[in-house]
Amino acid sequence: MIRVQREDIDVDAVLEAVKTAGSGCVVGFLGTVRDTSEGRGVERMSVEVYEDMAVKQLSAIRDEALERFGVHRVAVVHRIGDLGVGDSIVYIAVSAGHRDEAFMACRYVIDELKERVPLWKKEYTSDGEVWVEGDRRE
Amino acid sequence: MRIHVKYFASFRDMTGRREETMEVPDGVTVEGLREHVKGLYEKMADRDQVLVAVNGVFVPLETVVVEGDDVAFFPPVSGG
Repeated sequence: MIRVQREDIDVDAVLEAVKTAGSGCVVGFLGTVRDTSEGRGVERMSVEVYEDMAVKQLSAIRDEALERFGVHRVAVVHRIGDLGVGDSIVYIAVSAGHRDEAFMACRYVIDELKERVPLWKKEYTSDGEVWVEGDRRE
Repeated sequence: MRIHVKYFASFRDMTGRREETMEVPDGVTVEGLREHVKGLYEKMADRDQVLVAVNGVFVPLETVVVEGDDVAFFPPVSGG
């Protein structure tokens, strides 16, 4: 399951969707909106996407995780649009036979997402609007 | 030849547009096109990190762009 959506994330549904009969665990990562960023207070956030490319990139990252770590299923749901403090931004769930590969695969997916998937956050802070930009190398 | 260009996030603000159709010389590379766009938009010229994707995929800078390609320019990503 790879999704980019405006609606809130149904974490339980995603978690259920990755379970298989042969899985011994599901590892989940939930990213949420923090109320500070580099010393500034954050009031809310909006997330922009290049959707066609984001879905392609997330699918590629999922396939890499399945291949590299031998996990069973990987799901990624990322929200776009306006978000408030505490709201969910992204949920990643990985099922596997054992926890080691599930944790590693989950970590791999969030790290790669932050480098390669065309999504951008704009924070509305006490000092005004700020685009957050990563530091990806070409 | 004509190509379709898209801008995202701060680059959309800098260029004042989401997309445009652009007439470019045949044989232009991704790197050449990036220099061309930086020449058109002063605020983008100062940026060290201008990422480029062609048809939704990161490609090497020496890749030649062809008629009808969708070329996207954007800053380093910040999802998650």
